[in-house]
Amino acid sequence: MTVSGLEVEQKACFQFRANFLPCTVLQITRYDWEALEQQLVSAISNAPPFFTDLPVIIDLDKIKSLGVLNFIKLKEVLLANKMIPVGIRGGSEEQHLSAALVGMPTLTASRLSTAETKPKKKEEPIARLTKLVTTPIRSGMQIYARESDLIVTAAVSQGAEILADGNIHVYGSLRGRVLAGVQGNLQARIYCRTLDAELVSIAGYYLTKEDILNSPLGDGMKQIYLENEQVRIDVL
Amino acid sequence: MTKIIVITSGKGGVGKTTTSASFAVGLASRGFKTAVIDFDIGLRNLDLIMGCERRVVYDFVNVIRNEANLNQALIRDKHIKDLFILPASQTRDKDALTLEGVSTVLDELSKTFDYVVCDSPAGIERGAQLAMYFADSAIVVTNPEVSSVRDSDRMLGLLSSKTKRAEEGREPLTEHLLLTRYSPKRVARGDMLSLSDVNEILAIPLLGVIPESQAVLRASNSGDPVILDKESDAGQAYLDAVGRFLGEKIPHRFIEEKGNWLKRLLNFKEKETV
Repeated sequence: MTVSGLEVEQKACFQFRANFLPCTVLQITRYDWEALEQQLVSAISNAPPFFTDLPVIIDLDKIKSLGVLNFIKLKEVLLANKMIPVGIRGGSEEQHLSAALVGMPTLTASRLSTAETKPKKKEEPIARLTKLVTTPIRSGMQIYARESDLIVTAAVSQGAEILADGNIHVYGSLRGRVLAGVQGNLQARIYCRTLDAELVSIAGYYLTKEDILNSPLGDGMKQIYLENEQVRIDVL
Repeated sequence: MTKIIVITSGKGGVGKTTTSASFAVGLASRGFKTAVIDFDIGLRNLDLIMGCERRVVYDFVNVIRNEANLNQALIRDKHIKDLFILPASQTRDKDALTLEGVSTVLDELSKTFDYVVCDSPAGIERGAQLAMYFADSAIVVTNPEVSSVRDSDRMLGLLSSKTKRAEEGREPLTEHLLLTRYSPKRVARGDMLSLSDVNEILAIPLLGVIPESQAVLRASNSGDPVILDKESDAGQAYLDAVGRFLGEKIPHRFIEEKGNWLKRLLNFKEKETV
């Protein structure tokens, strides 16, 4: 019986598959062997089944300035408590080397601190997509631009509400409620051509229509912003 | 292709049923086979305006619940042979309407009718939402006063989001504004919002302006839709509006005070000096 090459290929013995498994990270914040061991034992005694055969990655980010550590000891402590150290992450190059010697690979090479790597080119800043609305926003409608600015090129009716985490620009007539910086961004501003709003608010500080009418500003493009916890309206 | 028109407003008492009746008569008298449905379950009125209240046997809810078939419930209009009325139930409430039921009735009507006019109840609840859900066109009836305008604005918001066309991402329905009970005299006195005020807020194409008129009340009481009163200003205004709806170019009337150009001029001067 002969076996053709094709058939051999079909009967592969393995395949590589990308997979993500949950893994516990043990972040060491202070390098003190005795205390570490004690605290570890007491933490485990609270819920032994949870820690049994638990794969653990040791995070050295907080103690990377300490130089070479006793990884043999650390490994022993973890194994004695039935945990399985699978590797380290963070830390300095020195630490990576000594960990590798005791069979603990560095799992995320990219976590090297920037001081030890060549300064990378800064990533191109990504402009957040501004939410754009071109149809009239009618009474009873609510538009929220989450984590972005909002531009409205149509009218905002009385009884409508527009909100944004960033700035708001309205090019139609503005008669509804308009709230910028709703997550607390004090720098957020509102720009509009005609200001006839029921309420304007920046980061929770607001003016009602009555307040606006009491200080008439005349025609023109308006800018609304926060200054000393006061909402101010200027004509541009 | 059957066209489903919803007559809606949000606010009550602005002239939805009057408009539904006149529009249905106007379309049918031009030879289109037309059905007009009263969606105001529990507050039936269309039958009165159409003058067929004594011939109601079965109603919309009976058809939805399969207690009667559609042909048994449709009432033929006394004036026009191509016009049929599907009356509302007076003894139920709006929860008797179901989406499937309304859909079935409209599908059935679409087999033979050219136009189906849906007379929406006031409010934004179930009855109103079902009346607009399947519409291809909406006529938004508005009075020239602030609360009516705001309610119409709310309605336009719902029309752009809560209809089958909107949900399926199809071409949006066509919106028309019908301004009713308009009195140029009261506009001039400043007691009423002007056409341009309303237009600025709602910003949808104007189908017509129906003047405030005694003829409307007279027509309601007699059970003959006002569009049949061809001598009256309101009747003529509805005829114009139907013509415009069908794509004819008809200039707008009844939007300025009659005659009296001298008074207008004086008014204008007064405004200038103020």
